[in-house]
Amino acid sequence: MTADFDRNMWELLSDNLPVRAGKTALVDKGRSVTYAELAAEAGAVADWLTARGIAPGDRVIVHLRKGISEVVAMFGAWKMGAVVVNVNVRWTAVQLAYVARDCRARAVILEKGATGALVGDNTLSLDTAFLLDGRAEDLPSGADAWRALPTSADTPAAAADPSSLAMIIYTSGSTGLPKGVMLSHRNIRVGAISVAEYLELAEDDRLLSVLPYSFDAGLNQLTTMMLTGGTVVHQPLTMPAEIVRMAQDQAVTGIAGVPPLWNQIVPLLMETPTELPALRRITNTGGKIPPNILDALPIVFPNAEIFLMYGLTEAFRSTYLPPERFAAKKGSIGQAIPNAQVFVVRHGVGIAQPGEQGELVHSGPLVSMGYWEQPEITAAKIRPCPELADVIGDAPVVWSGDLVRVDEDGDLWFVSRMDEMIKTLGFRLSPTEVEDLISQSGLVTDVVAYGVEDPEIGEAVHTAVTLLPGSDEAALTSYCAKVMPHYMRPRHVHAWQGTMPRTASGKLDRPAIISAAKAAASEMAAYSTADKGS
Amino acid sequence: MSLTENDLSSFLRDDLGVTDAVDGNTELFSSGLLDSVSMVNLIGFIEDKASVNIRPGDVTLENFDSISRIVDYVRSLG
Repeated sequence: MTADFDRNMWELLSDNLPVRAGKTALVDKGRSVTYAELAAEAGAVADWLTARGIAPGDRVIVHLRKGISEVVAMFGAWKMGAVVVNVNVRWTAVQLAYVARDCRARAVILEKGATGALVGDNTLSLDTAFLLDGRAEDLPSGADAWRALPTSADTPAAAADPSSLAMIIYTSGSTGLPKGVMLSHRNIRVGAISVAEYLELAEDDRLLSVLPYSFDAGLNQLTTMMLTGGTVVHQPLTMPAEIVRMAQDQAVTGIAGVPPLWNQIVPLLMETPTELPALRRITNTGGKIPPNILDALPIVFPNAEIFLMYGLTEAFRSTYLPPERFAAKKGSIGQAIPNAQVFVVRHGVGIAQPGEQGELVHSGPLVSMGYWEQPEITAAKIRPCPELADVIGDAPVVWSGDLVRVDEDGDLWFVSRMDEMIKTLGFRLSPTEVEDLISQSGLVTDVVAYGVEDPEIGEAVHTAVTLLPGSDEAALTSYCAKVMPHYMRPRHVHAWQGTMPRTASGKLDRPAIISAAKAAASEMAAYSTADKGS
Repeated sequence: MSLTENDLSSFLRDDLGVTDAVDGNTELFSSGLLDSVSMVNLIGFIEDKASVNIRPGDVTLENFDSISRIVDYVRSLG
């Protein structure tokens, strides 16, 4: 493994060719490719992009289901020096068209069935090149069929500068339109080097990829395997039983997940214990796992090390808790990953001491290039930190907006998004604290707590929950009365019908859930007022 | 108490917003037509409509990847 930061994304793949050209790089359900085959297929895509007039630095959208083709398309774009914009297949046609216009995509690589996405109101500019994966007949005019591409002409790769833009990851923020986070080749490579180091990944690893490549942690699984010469096993399905089966059949050594995924997989494994003898480690990112699921992880994965991790798209990856501290510090996000500098800052005061809370900030080579064509938002989110002037001078830091607590060993604990703290009855209450207690009730599957303005108490605690069969709001209310201090008890429980919406990376879509629950509550209030009036 | 192929195709069209033509053998999940959120909604619909309890371990491609497989699976629950 080379620890050289200054290699570009194409080199991340091609550095494997002299040493392991014939080794399996990627596995789909029905096929697999070696490193040499992956490079050759990517070469064919690179040649097509060049032939269609795409130049280095141009943006190429990849909108494909998880699989070998998706990886081929990304490395094809990187080979000829283009910038990859991977748009999750779960995003709607409207979102895709927005991203394509915002980044001024010159080429779009997508499944044939998804072209409906780009006609009518969502039509892209006429000079956009389309490459369609799927059946080669009945193509829209101007589009090319992937299957009809000639084999790679072994064109030399463009020598992309490692400090230049490699990828834009669009995030759907809580407010406004999606914003594109710009990652350099070096950002992504340092992310791979750092994570491979602390996870101790090696050439014989086989990672199960369920998380999307349009999400930093999902992408990082691919890049760490390219760095170490390992193998990625793709699972585009999110059925828990199919994920477990794939892990078993393919003898995977690592699974990366987000809390909603563990919330489904762990109960399944409790019900149907499954031996996964090859599994060495599982990793979580994207939020806190509910305490009851966290407790069960070592039971259902007895031979795996458990890594709890934390990352911000704007700084790629930030912290992790070493597995040997899992039992003692269940739920902590630990400390900075190698090559990252992570601090907890009390605004206007300085660095938070053990026992104190503050905003997590991140500095160093993982800090992204900011938001695509949004200099003002970039300047607000990534800027020097006066509280750290003595430590890092005026080096830019990413302000996470996350409130964390520092414990006596320097390990960090996520408290809340700073703008989600609930101020009630003179207390500052973290919604996570309410959610953790409610998760342990055994009455709900998902829970979101939030504050609602209240003239008497500042903010009232409200919750939206999906109740398990056989439980109801009254049971939950009486449970809360037993386990919670008075200021923490929800004043209102909204029983969510069906499944709560998720973001494309599988996390609960908190803003959408909260606004829908608030709307339902105010509608009910309006009805009850109307009743009184009649 | 019973679940028919028609019930399922109406649910896919009216509640899950599937616009593609779907017949009894169309692959629902392995084709990418339905995602994980649709899956949970579909399970809820089947449990209500057929008065059955679906165990998480049963949610596999064999049992759920097409309308006819779902009908067969639900029938097997008796």
